[in-house]
Amino acid sequence: MRLLTKSSLRHLLHHRMQLVLSVVGVALGVAVVLSIDLATGSARTAFQISAETVSGRATHQISSQVGPIDERLVARLRNEVGLRASAPVVEGFASSALLPGQALRILGIDPFSEGSFRPFVVAGPSARDVGSFMTTPGGVVLSAVTAARAGVAPGDSLPVLVAGRSWSLPVVGTVEPADELTRAGLTDVLLMDISGAQDVLGLAGVLTRIDLIVPEGADSLQLLGRIRALLSPGETIVEAGTRTATMAGMIDAFDVNLTALSLLALIFGMFLIYNAMTFSVVQRRTLLGRLRALGVTRGEILRVILAEAAWIGGVGSAIGLAVGVLLGRGLVRFVTRTINDLYFAVSVERIEIEPALLVKAAALGLGATLLAALPAALEAASSEPRLALLRSVREAKSRRMIPRAAAVGVASIGAGTLLVFLPSRSLGLGFMALFFVVGGLALLTPAGALLGMHLSRPVLGRVAGSLGLIASRGLMRSLSRTAPAIAALSVAVSVTVGLGVMIQSFRGTLAEWLDATLSADVYVSLPGPTASRASGTLPPELIASFVAHPDIVGHSTYRGIDIVDGVGVYRLVALALDPRGEETFDFIEGDAASIMRAFQGAEGALVSEPFAFRRRLEVGDRVAVPTPAGAQDLTVLGVFYDYGSDQGAVIVSRALYNRFFDDSGVTSLALFVRPGADSEAIVQELLTMVPAGTTVVARTNDVLRTASLEVFDRTFEVTAVLRMLAFIVAFVGVLSALMALELERARELGVMRAWGLEPAELRRLVLTQTGLMGLVSGALAVPMGLALSAVMIFVINKRSFGWTLDMQVGPGVVAEALGLALVAALLAGVYPAWRMSRTSPAVALRGE
Amino acid sequence: MPSFRMMQNADLIARPSGAPRLELADLCKSYEEGGRTHTVLDGASLQIAPGERVAILGPSGSGKSTLLNLICGIDLPDSGSVTIGDVDLTRLSEVERTRFRRRHIGFVFQFFNLLPTLTVFENLLLPLELQGSLGAQDAERARRLLERVGLLDRSNAFPDRLSGGEQQRVALARALVHEPDLVLADEPTGNLDENMATQVAELLADLVRGERGTLVVVTHSRVLASRMDRVFRLDHGRIVEDAR
Repeated sequence: MRLLTKSSLRHLLHHRMQLVLSVVGVALGVAVVLSIDLATGSARTAFQISAETVSGRATHQISSQVGPIDERLVARLRNEVGLRASAPVVEGFASSALLPGQALRILGIDPFSEGSFRPFVVAGPSARDVGSFMTTPGGVVLSAVTAARAGVAPGDSLPVLVAGRSWSLPVVGTVEPADELTRAGLTDVLLMDISGAQDVLGLAGVLTRIDLIVPEGADSLQLLGRIRALLSPGETIVEAGTRTATMAGMIDAFDVNLTALSLLALIFGMFLIYNAMTFSVVQRRTLLGRLRALGVTRGEILRVILAEAAWIGGVGSAIGLAVGVLLGRGLVRFVTRTINDLYFAVSVERIEIEPALLVKAAALGLGATLLAALPAALEAASSEPRLALLRSVREAKSRRMIPRAAAVGVASIGAGTLLVFLPSRSLGLGFMALFFVVGGLALLTPAGALLGMHLSRPVLGRVAGSLGLIASRGLMRSLSRTAPAIAALSVAVSVTVGLGVMIQSFRGTLAEWLDATLSADVYVSLPGPTASRASGTLPPELIASFVAHPDIVGHSTYRGIDIVDGVGVYRLVALALDPRGEETFDFIEGDAASIMRAFQGAEGALVSEPFAFRRRLEVGDRVAVPTPAGAQDLTVLGVFYDYGSDQGAVIVSRALYNRFFDDSGVTSLALFVRPGADSEAIVQELLTMVPAGTTVVARTNDVLRTASLEVFDRTFEVTAVLRMLAFIVAFVGVLSALMALELERARELGVMRAWGLEPAELRRLVLTQTGLMGLVSGALAVPMGLALSAVMIFVINKRSFGWTLDMQVGPGVVAEALGLALVAALLAGVYPAWRMSRTSPAVALRGE
Repeated sequence: MPSFRMMQNADLIARPSGAPRLELADLCKSYEEGGRTHTVLDGASLQIAPGERVAILGPSGSGKSTLLNLICGIDLPDSGSVTIGDVDLTRLSEVERTRFRRRHIGFVFQFFNLLPTLTVFENLLLPLELQGSLGAQDAERARRLLERVGLLDRSNAFPDRLSGGEQQRVALARALVHEPDLVLADEPTGNLDENMATQVAELLADLVRGERGTLVVVTHSRVLASRMDRVFRLDHGRIVEDAR
């Protein structure tokens, strides 16, 4: 080993604590980035594998945007187009008490049409199984893994709940595909004969889709044209996977936001590395000078420092990858639950550790470390004259830099603000604006810190006496060291505060919206595959008996269908609104009474704010809605605030819906009770009317409100976890910076001890300094946090999800920021204070 | 309570009529080094009269700095006692020794040990500030001392902008600024050239005489030692008077 490298390694080993903290910083940053990638990636992959597995080798799919397809279309395809490779499919969701928390996908197929569509069908159940599959009504085949998990075997029954009805399905066989992917894709699938599936799903005579294998070749376009000619309005033929891709696209904005949040942890990690490497170089000023005097070139010094950083980055990244995989396993649960709550049903069995993700995370870790170490390495390599290395010159230089940094900061905030007000919807520009604002605020912190310390001096003198003054002066005189630590702590706390205000504002807005929207007293729907999703339609006789209850004085019905089109997925809702519920809607603009009159008069549609935002619609514009009677251009009567879904909703009156749809189904029912009646008691009475074998969910508006807020809180659990992780990285950074700062002053503190500073006074001095840094950071973090939350609420959130949120700042924000920063800084000061107060001044004076 | 009594003793000599008598009795001190015991002081004894200026000579590694650390109470002996005035430092607690040092002892170090983040003037004020709040007469005293060491015009400079000799002159002024009864100097000229060493030695002797304090200098410089009232030598862990 070269002596230069040996010297560098020994330096690192002599400063073990700093080394460990640096490695921890990189490791945490990498771990957080990787875990989010793994969690969202695995959810996406699971969804896609599941969709692809059940699609099999189909090249195209026929489906309808507006409901099921008539099953006679299959015969017409075969007879009129001559397409033999067509397989009818009935699909729907179920849940089972034996598999709690898992949404099951019922896949009804016709074994005789399958041919080569789904190899697992052919390779899976034996001929005997296929026979019993056909001859056992409601017979179900499931994957061996799922069967084992549910504790069922062929011959047993699997209890399932589909759209509120209980079924006991005989298990006729299990499949155990040889390849891993198919096995993963089948974990949530219940394979049934098509007629059995039609019975269970209530889809007699109709299909969910038809899978096709269209041979490639010159005449494929012509063939597709002939198929299209057979389709009814609302029916489409698309390449297999298109629909899946559109569905998966629903989580794009969610994914981007999580990724941005995870990168934050890495940026904090960079702060840490920057600090650690700068200190490491500062500590070695004399040593580096001696090496230069001995003839070591600038390039060699640069390489040595960068090699140290690479070593830290490499080890940190390697640890980060391992921790990231573990963290990913934990996070995937949160992410999947949110996706199930808000977007689509997916069950993630395992995390997909794609090598590309590992490489990306490691490269980010290593790259970020080298980038953060570069300024320190360049400084070490610059052979400035002795004058430039003098501490006083460096401090004077730092002090001169403060107004310049502040000016650049103001310019950066200005640029960020400009980006905010640019008439753009780009999420990328939104994050860039956020970056400029955060960066600008960070650059303003040294000036803010200096001002804060000047202002606090008189108070400090009175409270802490001479020690207080010594502490404050020490900080102001070593801004080259203290300013980066204060900036790091301020930014970390401000991000925590900003996210906190954003979540608080979101929750507050949602709670107010729920109060206004849930105007009925009792809500009834069928249980869906996951707790927060309704499915199927309520039996008409049940609706009739409910509304006939003597205490029910009015009701609204709601019918929702999901529509997938070229832009995305949205919900079309047919609403038969009781006059009592007319004030439910809060419109962005226009007179509510006249909008509701036009709505009830079937003159057009109401669209939700996210829908209008995504499709750039305004009141008076027309929106094309697919219906079985062809696409209908409806006038947008009003745009209403809606925080129920970021995908958007189009609401039409039931009368208008009935004009185009042959569908009398009701997805949910809102009941108004007689004034003074006890809603909870009525719910209990209504539930007694439900026939055996059927399950409905009936909730008072309080319960539904609470449940909705619980979904919200679950959605933000992952954000809370990330917020905490980012803060831990920042805390480690500040800890390392403050520790290095205080340990660097060992000699100075040793002199003070020799002069008669007691150990307790020394502890107080160190803690006063770090506490003061904490207070100043906290005070600076409040306006920074508010600015950040404003950008997140009005730009990032709006551009990601299309929601307008009220910014709600609680009184606890200031206390939270000050408390967090103070506690973090005091904790960071504990070790140096303890260590320095125990070190004999004789040792400290002896120096290195 | 012994510590209370000790504090009473410490306060008693807080306003001494003159410089205190210093008595080292049978001091022993050894360190563990790589599993072996290295004895530095082995029954070192010395008595210094109030206002006396003494030098203790000895080659590097002979235990000079250890001896100074024991005299000022930064370190404790394995056995023996250090008595300043009526106070036996070895019987005081860490906090009591620190307070005693703060009030009664001034230091001059070989490597100056000025605080790099404070100006020359602020370095001088620090020992006063550690004793409590600063008054106008404190600043005046600091200025007077700076004038005596010829550096009043460098008051606002930072230590790293001064030459070695200038830094040591500031260190001398700092050691005396709080009117200590006992001044301890560890190789105060060890880091200076011959000419500057002579100047600093003269200044140290004059200043301490002017302030009527007791001075103990450990050094291996015969030139510096020659300016003291008495000279001792550290010889195999014991203090013996030098024949000159």
